[in-house]
Amino acid sequence: MLTPRIRWAASVAGAAVLTLTACGSGGSDGAPGEKVTLTYRLWDEQQKAGYEKVMAAFEKANPSIDVKIELLPYDQYWTKLTADAVAGTAPDVFWMSPTQFPEYVTKGVLSPVPVDATKYHKTVTEAFTYQGKQYGMPKDWGVVGLLYNKDLFKKAGVEMPDTLTWKPDGSGTFLETARKLTADAAGKHPGDPGFDPATIKTYGFLSWNHYQTQWMNFVSSNGGKLLDQPFGKYTFNDDASVQALQFAVDLVNKHHVSPPATRTNPPTGKATDMFKAGEVAMFPANNALLPFVVPDAAFEVGVAPMPEGPAGRAVNLNGLAEAVYAKSKHPEQAQKLAAYLGTEEPQKLMADEGYVFPALNGLTQGYVDHWAKTAKLDVSAFVKEAEGTTFPMPVTTGFTGFEPKLNQIFNEMYLGRLTPKQAADQAVTEGNATVK
Amino acid sequence: MTGRRRLGDWYAYLFIGPSLLGVVAFLLLPVVIVFALSLFRWELLSAPVFVGLDNYTRLAGDGEAWHSLWVTILYVLLCIPLQTVLALALALMLDRRIKGVRILRSLFVIPWMATPIVMGLVWDWIFDPRDGALNRALDLVGVTGPDWLSDPAWALPAVALVNVWQHTGYTMLFFLAGLQGIPKELYDASSTDGATPAQRFWKITLPLLNPTMFFVTVTNLIGAFQAFDTIFVMTDGGPGGGTDVINFRIFGTAFREFDFGYASTLSMLLFAVILLVTLAQVRFFGRRTTYDLS
Repeated sequence: MLTPRIRWAASVAGAAVLTLTACGSGGSDGAPGEKVTLTYRLWDEQQKAGYEKVMAAFEKANPSIDVKIELLPYDQYWTKLTADAVAGTAPDVFWMSPTQFPEYVTKGVLSPVPVDATKYHKTVTEAFTYQGKQYGMPKDWGVVGLLYNKDLFKKAGVEMPDTLTWKPDGSGTFLETARKLTADAAGKHPGDPGFDPATIKTYGFLSWNHYQTQWMNFVSSNGGKLLDQPFGKYTFNDDASVQALQFAVDLVNKHHVSPPATRTNPPTGKATDMFKAGEVAMFPANNALLPFVVPDAAFEVGVAPMPEGPAGRAVNLNGLAEAVYAKSKHPEQAQKLAAYLGTEEPQKLMADEGYVFPALNGLTQGYVDHWAKTAKLDVSAFVKEAEGTTFPMPVTTGFTGFEPKLNQIFNEMYLGRLTPKQAADQAVTEGNATVK
Repeated sequence: MTGRRRLGDWYAYLFIGPSLLGVVAFLLLPVVIVFALSLFRWELLSAPVFVGLDNYTRLAGDGEAWHSLWVTILYVLLCIPLQTVLALALALMLDRRIKGVRILRSLFVIPWMATPIVMGLVWDWIFDPRDGALNRALDLVGVTGPDWLSDPAWALPAVALVNVWQHTGYTMLFFLAGLQGIPKELYDASSTDGATPAQRFWKITLPLLNPTMFFVTVTNLIGAFQAFDTIFVMTDGGPGGGTDVINFRIFGTAFREFDFGYASTLSMLLFAVILLVTLAQVRFFGRRTTYDLS
């Protein structure tokens, strides 16, 4: 077996060789009327089945274009895409995420795509805007909602309130509900005399170090800001953000309504498993997680809107886009495909079969109906949230390099080894050093 | 005569050609490329810019990189002595004709055949502070186990333990082979002279195992210096940089920060450290090793 160091070196050498050969081969634009093959790359195996139908429809309408779908597992997707971009052989059209977008768009890998921004979800179009131009056709979005274990609610005799509210001082219906659902071995709740945090059997909530579904939502719903502007600097060490982070950590270490960070910190934490095992009553998750939770759960799952903070409700909405490669050998056809993928036919198909919420406005009902029909699950709370205040992932350069550092620093915060202020200051400093 | 020799040379090159080609293309050339890259600033998607020794100057003042090197050295020190002693002890125990010895030998080698990623995932479960097998077992004897992978004091020993567990059986195989190469007459003669078992071990077995010891420690040390897979799965370099070994930092610098120039510089550092340690071992064992047992 080659050692990782050698494998790594070999891949660099390979990339170097590819660069050289790529320079040597001239682009041969097919003569008019000749059949053109486009490569379309994605990372989701389940969605691939949907896109096979989509591409078949596109090929039928455009007989001179063939589309080859390439599936790459997410772990390899970005490394391979980068290597391909270096070699000049990236696919013609491919999926793009907001956190990766800045890296690729600033290096000239992506082509602008004409988009009527009014027709798509605003948070998605904004996430793929650079210097006033749209880079990528809005594809879909996923939004964070509050999954809850209906059986645990029933057992505790608790109703899910219509609106959950939280404040940094611990008031509001959210913490109250979480307390009622947390029980130790003797059936006592936090705040009861004799409550023993060491013997907790069920937790009301799961507060853990997962930026997308957790603390970023607390920060935004407390009026804190992640970034000063798109492609700007991190600012989540302002007072409102630190207050929100303190609340997130307090849920674990002070209020005892959430499991200790030793069991949930990434990469080894088992937060999702704990919810699936019925140990936790409320668990924020992106709707993309539904297929991985609902079928295995031995209890009835419900979906509620996320808690409202002092600044109202603000949830993360993560959109994807269909990016067009700037050095595509068939720019015209690639643009044609991207334009088609933004139309109603494919977006509706992907929604109706329950794969995603489409980025094109007015098609969410198909996704809602799919889940109601196949799993008797009411997912309309996600739609309601998406119509309210949403925020994207931080769109700025260097996030891939920053992400592991951010996770490490915040692991320490959730463990109580760093105060939220210390952790946020450290993370913002590290993060801003990676912004170019 | 000269003609025949030339013909012989020609054949020799033909025979070593294929493997030589592999070594040059996949070993020597990448090493040269990595060295060249260490003189550039290259963020992959933009053209490389020659920066001379800038990356090395940066390395000199990069406390985190030196911390990583220190963590790596600790990791090697945790792995190698324990692994070598255990492997030798196992080999001595299994170097006899007892029932089921073949099965036992195979059992001990199985961990080495497991995929590191899968192994990391399994050990993740074992180390789980509450539901993990290890702490459950410790509970039975009244000991409260630590939060293995999130406690800065235990994370590195924990991942080192996985490495030891994986490589001990494999290392044992080499010791077994070495033991079987020691002529039995030497033991017979020493018994006749009244040597105790301890004396036999220290005066005969251990010195005559030197070629094996040399091979095993050199390859295992190099392997331990390059630790990556299990750490990637189990701790991602955490907690708080506690398992941030140098190879992991190289990976992060290259594939997460896309800073290939500096990642190459870090690789050169690792290369230099391994080279020095290996040279030291060559010198140490070179003076003490007899290959001729006849």
